[in-house]
Amino acid sequence: MTARDAVYAFFPATGSAVGNDFRRKNFMMQVPGEFPIIKEDNVTHSFCGLACVGWMYQKIKDSFFLILGTHTCAHFLQNALGMMIFAKPRFGIALIEEGDLAKHEPGLEDIVAEIKADHHPSVIFLLSSCTPEVMKVDFKGLAHHLSTPEVPVLFVPASGLVYNFTQAEDSVLHSLVPYCPEAPAGKKNVVFLGSVNDVTADDLRAEAEELGIPVGGFLPESRFDRMPAIGPDTVLAPIQPYLSRVAVKLARERGARVLNSLFPFGPDGTRVFWEDLAKEFGIQVDLRDREKAAWEKIRQQTELLRGKKVFLTADTMMELPLARFLKSAGADVVECSSAYINKKFHSRELEALEGVRVVEQPNFHRQLEDIKRDRPDLIVTSLMTANPFVGHGFIVKWSMEFTLMSIHSWSGVFTLANLFVSPFNRRSKLPAFDETVWLEGVMPSAE
Amino acid sequence: MRLAFWLYEGTALHGISRVTNSMKGVHTVYHAPQGDDYITATYTMLERTPEFPGLSISVVRGRDLAQGVSRLPATLQQVNEHYNPELTVIAPSCSTALLQEDLRQLAMHSGVPEEKLLVYALNPFRVSENEAADGLFTELVKRYAAEQEKTAEPSVNILGFTSLGFHLRANLTSLRRMLQTLGIKVNVVAPWGAGTDDLRKLPAAWLNIAPYREIGASAAAYLCDRFGMPALYDAPLGVEPTRQWLEGIVREINIVAAAKGAPLLRMPALRAFSLDGLSAPSGVPWFARTADMESFSGKKAFVFGDATHTVGVVKFLRDELGMQIIGAGTYLERHAAWVKEQLQGYLPGELMVTDKFQEVSAFIEEEIPDLVCGTQMERHSCRKLDVPCMVISPPTHIENHLLGYYPFFGFDGADVMADRVYISCKLGLEKHLIDFFGDAGLEYEEEAALQPDTAVSSNGHESNGPESATSVATPAQATDPDGMSWTDEAENMLKKVPFFVRKKVRKNTETFARQQGESCITADVFRQAKESLGG
Repeated sequence: MTARDAVYAFFPATGSAVGNDFRRKNFMMQVPGEFPIIKEDNVTHSFCGLACVGWMYQKIKDSFFLILGTHTCAHFLQNALGMMIFAKPRFGIALIEEGDLAKHEPGLEDIVAEIKADHHPSVIFLLSSCTPEVMKVDFKGLAHHLSTPEVPVLFVPASGLVYNFTQAEDSVLHSLVPYCPEAPAGKKNVVFLGSVNDVTADDLRAEAEELGIPVGGFLPESRFDRMPAIGPDTVLAPIQPYLSRVAVKLARERGARVLNSLFPFGPDGTRVFWEDLAKEFGIQVDLRDREKAAWEKIRQQTELLRGKKVFLTADTMMELPLARFLKSAGADVVECSSAYINKKFHSRELEALEGVRVVEQPNFHRQLEDIKRDRPDLIVTSLMTANPFVGHGFIVKWSMEFTLMSIHSWSGVFTLANLFVSPFNRRSKLPAFDETVWLEGVMPSAE
Repeated sequence: MRLAFWLYEGTALHGISRVTNSMKGVHTVYHAPQGDDYITATYTMLERTPEFPGLSISVVRGRDLAQGVSRLPATLQQVNEHYNPELTVIAPSCSTALLQEDLRQLAMHSGVPEEKLLVYALNPFRVSENEAADGLFTELVKRYAAEQEKTAEPSVNILGFTSLGFHLRANLTSLRRMLQTLGIKVNVVAPWGAGTDDLRKLPAAWLNIAPYREIGASAAAYLCDRFGMPALYDAPLGVEPTRQWLEGIVREINIVAAAKGAPLLRMPALRAFSLDGLSAPSGVPWFARTADMESFSGKKAFVFGDATHTVGVVKFLRDELGMQIIGAGTYLERHAAWVKEQLQGYLPGELMVTDKFQEVSAFIEEEIPDLVCGTQMERHSCRKLDVPCMVISPPTHIENHLLGYYPFFGFDGADVMADRVYISCKLGLEKHLIDFFGDAGLEYEEEAALQPDTAVSSNGHESNGPESATSVATPAQATDPDGMSWTDEAENMLKKVPFFVRKKVRKNTETFARQQGESCITADVFRQAKESLGG
């Protein structure tokens, strides 16, 4: 069987009929509200919330991330995130072994002592995982019990029973709220919400200051003892699209205002973000020229993207703003799916995506059928599914790359556009590919 | 409970999917929370499979648990509809295993015919990757293998080759090449590439070859019990073991041939096994005898890995290259007894049996061997200690999935292993020259070695975060835990020692000084140490 045959074997010829029938079975439902969202059953390929450890431990430099989990959690972190390079990094697994299952409460005292002796952290984040969640471990009580005034232990819910991929960053920030000092009323400034590298943070700060917006800091800062003060006159500016819970909590507990705007990705999102943020401070700015210049800078890229059919499978929860940028750049977004959509937190992005098919918790099998039918020019998808899509003749971009690259604000525009364009350029540089020849024997063969 | 940073073996679920991902027409459904199918990424990214791996997840969400809902029947229906597998293996993960659900009952609700489903529920807290893979493979062989006529021509099954196996493709090619030279057909390779029909026809072969102790040996034993099939369990690692392996195959095949009245096989001339058909099949025997390789005999090697490779490599280093084995170990406690028995007389002390890489690293730091043969983790530990290391064992790593032909099995494999030893160690004339001329201008190499690992962080937020890199490198560089200090003069003398033994000289000198009750290494102490240690 050639790879081409395989495509058809994989996607039966009766695709659409099967699809319709399948859709009914799939409990696909329309979510009520202003913007139509389709909600499916989340049978998909992505990571659990523990993935956030990969960047959070690097961001908060005096921290230790302790996961109460099993062999599965350890294996996930060392494999999927390729972390074996750091044999003794500032994260580890308190490994639940068979003998621990019968215990009433996990005894973490020795492990915490070991961590303190070896790493001297200022804070220990205690992350939950599926097994102790099923065991109904009292994480809050456990964290409280292990905390000392010198080294607090903060509970971070992260298990795959509830959280996907980037979502547990929300949990980490949630746990940090008590360590953000209360800003007094009248102290009006912006606190950016979301972890970004120091270069991006400096850049956002400089941009805000240039517009006359006083900056209170970032949640998180890169040290535990430097978390920003937040109070009733703080404006929270979310710079990552997966942080709705901490935003709500800070609004409720501190009376902070949460900026409701686009996320600062792409010329369109960046302009709206800064203009809206400035407005919060009574500053009227017109950044249309700047936006125009930014589009001009990536004209080559947008010319290539114009009219291209793009499909985003759910993975990192950055899909909404990415799809919105693509749409503004002239691409035809055939589907944008995401594991979690918050109608309020994401309202501006949803509004900008009007006319695009938006799916929450999609079903990967259904997506495959649609992809076969629609033949998108580009698929933005997870590490787990990227190469097989390439094997089926599609052009693909890893969704995870968008969480790893500096794509924020004006300085990120070029990088962002290039991320979408590079797979096309690369494909055009490679010689013609006869899959009947070059894929032969790549899959196992018993003969 | 213990604090773990990294583990040698994967989970039972990983072992199960390695088997099913190897096979055609077989699918796995993980009954597990979001993300437990993370392992899919290793198939698509390390093995670079151009097809979607035969693995789906029936997502268990916290809300489902609260509401008593199970998505398993619906997921099984979807899988059946989309992939139409001949068999779907259903496996719970560590968390869902605790729920003690009747997965068989739930699976029946899907309406998928019972004979197309297999619930394979292991205790994930007790069973790990290799045992699960071996167990499931045996289970599948039991399920499908059927009594039948032997093939007319001499034939073998090759068992235990499994997705993400160590140098899997090249090893298989090496075995196929040798079998072809012998004039023996391959009946079935399994699980790698096999469908259920292939498993059905396993008993048609004359002989089973199961070179991996970890996966496939149990299935071969079952086929021997049930169908009276002979099996060869040896791994052809090294030149002599390969010759013995070939002779074993000819012997076993000829027993069957004699019983059938078929013509007997004859062992061809060894040159027939070479790549060009005109040469010695391996360069190792001559290579090992050449004058500059004499320095091998003084080299001290430490070997750590799974069972099959640890045994094979220890024997290869000692028996064929004449190296000195200062220790060996395995992370597979389940096979430790077998490894011990195999290595009787090879080891100066006890076999190290541990799944804690820190213990292995501590041993290496203590002994500073001239060569370490280990897993990717030992390679990592050795880099920090500036000890030569070659990787000889899983767990798999992107570097074990290269495009070129680098088998470990067979004559070709012996050459690959010897080349890697040669490249890893600092040897012969090169060493004498450096000894004679001191650093020979190679000082920069040490500087480079002392740089923190230029690790590629998977996360660009803080790519290669300097802080984490240093914190990793610090333990290796910590000069002395007992507060031993060096005078500048002594340090300068130490600098004149060739860089690649400097670390060892530093350590030996400090040990000597401690024994002498000195707390500071002066030029004098250094000289005394040099005299007393004969260096």
